[in-house]
Amino acid sequence: MAPSLTAWRVRQGMAVLLLLSASCISVAHPRFGVSNVRGAGLALVLHASGTASQNPTAAAPSANGQVIMKGIRFQPAELTVHPGETVEFRNEDIVAHTVTADDGSFDSGLIQPGSSWKMTVQKAGTLAYHCTPHPNMKATLVASSGAQMKETHGAAGGLPGFRPPRSPQELHPILVNFTAALLPLALFSDLLGLWLKRSSLHNAAAWMVLYAAIITPLTGAAGWWWKIKSAGTLPPELIAVHQWLGTSLALLFIVLAVWRWRLYRQDAVPTLAYLVFALVAVLALVYQGSLGGAMVFGRP
Amino acid sequence: MNWKRHLAVGSMALLFAMGFSAFAQDKDKSSAKPSDPQIVGVVTAADQIDIDTAKVALKKTKNDQVKQFAQQMIDDHTKLQSSVNDLGKKLNVKPAPSDISKSLKTAAAAETKKLQGLNGKAFDSEYINHEVAYHQQVLDAAGNVLIPNAQNAELKSALQGAAPLLQGHLDHAKQLQSSLGSSSGGSGSAH
Repeated sequence: MAPSLTAWRVRQGMAVLLLLSASCISVAHPRFGVSNVRGAGLALVLHASGTASQNPTAAAPSANGQVIMKGIRFQPAELTVHPGETVEFRNEDIVAHTVTADDGSFDSGLIQPGSSWKMTVQKAGTLAYHCTPHPNMKATLVASSGAQMKETHGAAGGLPGFRPPRSPQELHPILVNFTAALLPLALFSDLLGLWLKRSSLHNAAAWMVLYAAIITPLTGAAGWWWKIKSAGTLPPELIAVHQWLGTSLALLFIVLAVWRWRLYRQDAVPTLAYLVFALVAVLALVYQGSLGGAMVFGRP
Repeated sequence: MNWKRHLAVGSMALLFAMGFSAFAQDKDKSSAKPSDPQIVGVVTAADQIDIDTAKVALKKTKNDQVKQFAQQMIDDHTKLQSSVNDLGKKLNVKPAPSDISKSLKTAAAAETKKLQGLNGKAFDSEYINHEVAYHQQVLDAAGNVLIPNAQNAELKSALQGAAPLLQGHLDHAKQLQSSLGSSSGGSGSAH
């Protein structure tokens, strides 16, 4: 009777672990499910998590869309892009123009005839813009996260082929899934281990914290790369918190891993202080994920 | 290239419009329709007038927005001017004086004198009100007089092509006008 009861509890625990990891990932990517359903119906989870679809034939900083300024007009007057994509604004007019957001969120400054200016669209939404010197020049960028699969992968409408991730817009969301899953699961595994009195669950927790500490600096590096590449087009108040909280968390996880590893080597059960510390780290991570989601998908 | 020609014609239209407003005041003097060389002459004069007025503004204003606007008028109208010149050379049309261009210059001299006597907010408000009225007149003249009378098709389409640029200047000046809160200022000297 007793062994089967234990087995049942273990199975129940595993199910809860799976649910928890799923909820951690969906917190980090609030519109995840919606964007997949609107897209191709089926999509690889990692591939869809806010990554930009890029022109596969062109070099890294190439533009995905182009707007021409000519005859005191933006052409096309409405361009649809996807978050993470880069738009080139090219001045083929005889006078200088600007590309200025109606809400003030971006401004190119004067673009002289024959020059161009590039901007990476960071989040979904409709961006109305105009030319400051010629206010009769008005146009719109529509950044849609939903239609990206269908549009960029041709009329055939099939699933995208596999390409290794190359841009920070692809790498950061992929890496962040590991961080987002490992940390909460490590905490949960320790709690479950205390409850079930099973040392194997504690061992697993120690290893998961170690993995998280190794992979999170890479996540942070990809994030900084993205930020530098975007050259000021990310929402300033969100990125300011996201970049420093992210960097602090990467360091915090290393401290956490050292702490957890010492407990593991001593074959000790995690202390209350450690568990509280880990819980704070997990809560900060969830908040960090919501900031990242807000920048990629817009705020609900 | 084609677009440059459009702009050139457009600036001619602008000049013509100014001429037209002068023309409307002196109906007895001349009822002749402007020839293509006269249209080019009117555009050249109108361009130069707006550049010169902007230079006065650049010296006198202390308002950054007004400064930017004046600099833009200099930059844009200089470009327009050079496309007018290019088109004139290409079509072998030399700018010719007309009653329209003469009265434009007379009105501009009076406006410059008036602006020289003003300072600070009074200057900004007079300058911007003048720019609104001036661009409106030029646009009207382009549509009513210059474009209908242009004989050469390239000149005509260049005039049509320049209209959106003038509309842009007008819209920009109107925006400044409302941000300066000076819409009640006098612009009576704009003709």
